[in-house]
Order: sequence, then structure tokens, then C-alpha cells
Amino acid sequence: MTTQSGPPAARAGVIHDIGYRHYEGPRPGRAAIIRALGWHSLRSAFGIGRGAKAKIIPVIAFSLMCLPAVVNAVAVARGGKRIVDYDTYIFQLRVLVMIIFVAAQAPELVSRDLRSHVLPLYFSRPLRRLDYPLAKLGAFILACLALLEIPLLLLYVGTVSQAHGGGAIWAQTRALIPGLLVGLAWAVLLASIGLVLASLSGRRAYATGSIAICFFLSWALAGLLRGVTSENGMGAGAGARLSGLVSPFTVLDGLRQWLGGTSPGPLPPPGDLGVLYGVLFLLMLAAAVGGLAARYRKAGIS
Amino acid sequence: MTAPVPLQHGPLQAGPPAGGTGPGPGLVAAVVETSALTKRYPGAVNALDQLSVRVAPGITGLVGANGAGKSTLIKILLGLLAPTSGQAAVLGLDCARDAERIRARCGYMPEHDCLPPDVTATEFVTHLGRMSGLPPTAAKERAAESLRHVGLYEERYRQIGTYSTGMKQRVKLAQALVGDPQLLLLDEPTIGLDPAGRAAMLDLVSRIGTEFGISILVSSHLLGEIEQICDHLVAIDGGRLLRADSMTSFTQVSQVLLVEVDEGTALLEAELAARGLDPRRDERALLVQIGSGETYDAVRDAVADLGLPLNRLEQRRRRVEELFRDDAPDREGAA
Repeated sequence: MTTQSGPPAARAGVIHDIGYRHYEGPRPGRAAIIRALGWHSLRSAFGIGRGAKAKIIPVIAFSLMCLPAVVNAVAVARGGKRIVDYDTYIFQLRVLVMIIFVAAQAPELVSRDLRSHVLPLYFSRPLRRLDYPLAKLGAFILACLALLEIPLLLLYVGTVSQAHGGGAIWAQTRALIPGLLVGLAWAVLLASIGLVLASLSGRRAYATGSIAICFFLSWALAGLLRGVTSENGMGAGAGARLSGLVSPFTVLDGLRQWLGGTSPGPLPPPGDLGVLYGVLFLLMLAAAVGGLAARYRKAGIS
Repeated sequence: MTAPVPLQHGPLQAGPPAGGTGPGPGLVAAVVETSALTKRYPGAVNALDQLSVRVAPGITGLVGANGAGKSTLIKILLGLLAPTSGQAAVLGLDCARDAERIRARCGYMPEHDCLPPDVTATEFVTHLGRMSGLPPTAAKERAAESLRHVGLYEERYRQIGTYSTGMKQRVKLAQALVGDPQLLLLDEPTIGLDPAGRAAMLDLVSRIGTEFGISILVSSHLLGEIEQICDHLVAIDGGRLLRADSMTSFTQVSQVLLVEVDEGTALLEAELAARGLDPRRDERALLVQIGSGETYDAVRDAVADLGLPLNRLEQRRRRVEELFRDDAPDREGAA
């Protein structure tokens, strides 16, 4: 062992020379610790502070997500109209990118700590038991929010830069705001579901797999149900309108349409069944956040 | 090896721990105090059973066989486990009510592996310094200092996954030290180390306790190992207190010298008896109770005077359960 090489007297001498100094400075307390943990987790969601490999997926996800906004900016600059909606963005792309990002990065936040049994070190510090999942959840929601909203802001800037007159700018701004709210709903729900699934396994591959499978299968199932119910000649009947209840992504779209979103989405307008999407959104969110809290309330401390 | 002398604690005794309840007359404030502490796990296993013990500042060894309740006690002291009944206080703070404040003043080194392989020791200890409530710059400085104090220099910029077991144990100790605690709770710090690594770790713990002025509660299932560095010992078995006492009174029963000669064992036995050492037979060897440093000289002289071929002369390390098998009944409750 390298640290034990060398004569003990010499090493002890070095330590004597330096001496131990007690820390007399400020200790900002629990709220500051939670913020520090949140900031640390937010950075790790984008692979910052880790090696280059850890940044690959966040960078690809972010670039893909921004692509439509860039294309839109070019189109608008050539004299066209805005070609991407704020509230749906490019729905399929958004689903794809969010599945990849959440499946890859949620385990980065929680599975690593489970895998290497670091939790006892957190819990033996001046934090309460639920502070840890709270900080992680807050950080991951912010990470997802950045991924969803920054492209919207780019879309807005690209469009507004060619707009003439206050009226045009105001119209764009009014269209943007619901889009940002939809993005918030996406970030909150997907981050919660992603983290609770990731927290069930310390093995990164399992965690990533379970999130990806859960999101992909439910998304595919929703598409299948929509197809089946439409083929039966029901058109936008109750079956088709309810087909989105099986997947978080279509639940989010149902919620958007129920709250007044008008851009065409993957779901037919749910009409008076829209309230079901609102309720299911809240239920899914409550289940994910509750599951996360329960997971860490009794998580092994040894 | 000479007979252990109680270690001196300069700065430690200087003032009572902040926030501590007033010590009794003539007593130093206890760093840990439990009364009738009981922890029952589902399945009716009593991990701790009516444990009442008082730990004074300094280095205290917590000894007991595996499963004696050492880790359970440490987790209750940190407020990580709720006791089934009874009370516990650390640095004068109640473990049930003030767990956060206790954790702000304690450093904890878990028994098991708890290090991520893919970060450097510097990054890891800095992060945990932040988690101990230090501002960013202070966390960085104290992480570097803690790692240096535990003997990690250039290696600290390498990923922890590349470390030896001994180096990992040092990182675990450094993260406990980073927040400048008043009390360190070390759970089996020598586990998994080779003899040289164990000696180095014990030396480190001893130095932290004596030179850094930090009280330490260190658990081990090997009495012989931590008796070298402790001022006090708390021995538990099956969750019950066997004995809590100062090291000097412990060593009188724990230290035995084993003498083995190739021939003339009976002669030596008679000679040692004549010198008033009361030797006992242990297969081919003789066991002599170590009273003071003079015991070593007496044995050496006896062997030399008889001209016997000395084969082995060693201080016997007895495991704690052996030690208390004969001593426990009349010693129980000595605390």
C-alpha cells in the first residue's frame, strides 16, 4: 500500500508540522445543504463534473430538442410563418428525446448512490430523511425543464426576431406562455416517474431499462389503442378519446387539450372526458412522488 | 510493548461540549450517555437490551462480538434508528429530538463500503463537506486537509475505484473528519485490512483522538486491536452491557503473555511460579498474566537463567467473548 510506505516517523513528522486546525467559520445549515445537493445533482444530470462520456447523451438530447427551433428560425428568416407550435412542439421528437434523457440520466442521480451505498453518509449528516429525495427531485425537474423550455425560448426568439410591431410580438408571447406551462407539466411528471423507477434499482442498466421500457411500451400501447378504436369506425369516439390514458405522454397531451390547448396532438380532443386526463395526471404525479418518498423513508441506511 | 499508559488529552478536557448538559460535580460531561436503551427488531431479536452506559471524552472502544449491537447503538446515537425504548444523548443532545444537531457535530464512518468508484477522493470528500454544512471554499480546503491528515496526498486526485482497501478506509475516515466534528463514530475502521493496514489505521485513529482533540467512539470485534489506542472500553454482548471501564482496569484482565520453549516447559513453569507469576499451562505453552512492565523482564530473566531455547514470546490477544466468559458474572454492572 503506497500510503504506508516510508518510515512512520517521517510521515508522522509531516503531520506534526501541519497540525490540525478546527473549523471556526460559518455553517449555513440545512436549507443550504439541500440547495448544494440540488445543485450537485443538477450538474450531474447534464454530466457536468463527470467525464466526457457522461455528457454525450445530455448533449445529443439537447441538440435534437433544439433542432426544430433552429429550423423554424431559418424558415421565419426567409419570410415564412412560424412552423412549430409552442404547446405541442414536435410531439414525437419530444417523446423520443425525453424517454432517452430521463432513462439515461435519472439513474445518474439516484442509482449511483444506491449502488455504491453512499446513502448512509448523507443520512448521517444534518439532513432529514426526505431532504435527499426532495433535492434530487427538484434538480431533475429543473434539468427536464431546461431540456423542454430552452428550445421553446429559442423558438420564440427565432420567431420574434422577424416579427414587426408590438402586436405581433404580443401574439407570439401569448402563444408561448401556455407552451411553457405544458413544458412544466411534462418536466414535473416525467422527472418524478423517472426518479422513482430509477430509485428501485442500484444497477444503472436495470434502472435505465425499466424507465425506457415503461415509457416506450405505454406510448406504443396508447398508439395501438388509438389505432384499434379508430379502425372500428368509432372515429373520435369515446374509445379513441380515452386511448391516451395508458401513457404519461398522452396523459400530458390530454391534460393540455382539456386545459384549452388547440394545436393538433397525438390524441383526438378528449372533450368532456378531458377531466379524466387532469385527474390521472395528478394521480400519476402523486403516486410517483409518494413512491419516491416511501422509497427513501425506509431506504437501507447500512 | 510496554503496559499501556492512559493517553493524555490536552485540549479535549478544556471545556464541556457546546450545548451539553451540565456535568455532575467532579465529572467531565459525557459525550454519549444512554439509559435503558432497547432496540427490538421485528422477529423479536433484541439488538440492544436495557443498555445504560456513559462515555467520557477521549477514545472509547466499543467492543463486542459480531451481532452484539455495536452498529445498532451507533445508528441510534446518530438518530438514524429509533430505539424501541430508553433514552440516548450525544454531546448533551437528545438523540430522538435533536438528531440533526447531533449529526452536525458528529462524523460517522460506516462499517461497510460506501464509496463511489468513479469520482476522485478530493471531489467526493469536498461534496460530503458541503453536505456537512460547509460553504464551498471551506469544504474544498477542509477536504484537502482531511485527506492529508489521513495520509492521502497525490493519490487524492485519482478515482476511488483504483484505491486499495487501506486507502478506501482512509477516504471513509476523511469524509467523517471533513466537517470538523466534536465526536467521531467509527464502525469497525480496521475491517478488511491486512495487519500493516490495521496498525496504520489504529495509529491514525489514536492521533486524531489525542492530537486533534476529537472524541472518538470506535467499535471493533477485536478487543486486542483497539485496546492499544483506547482510554476507555465499553464491552457489550447480546445488546447488554458487559462492562464499561477505563483501559487500565481492563488490561489487567485482558493482557496475557504467552511463553513457549522448545523443551523444559515444566522447569520454566516452576521458575515462573517461584517468581510469583502464577503461570498457566496452555497446551505446549505457558500463559502469564501481565501485571506491569516488569512481567516481561521477569519472564525474560527466567528463560535466560534456565538457558532454555525460547521459541515464542507474545502478548496474547484474546477475543472479547473469551475474555468475558470467565470475567463477566462478577464484573457485570461495574459501570
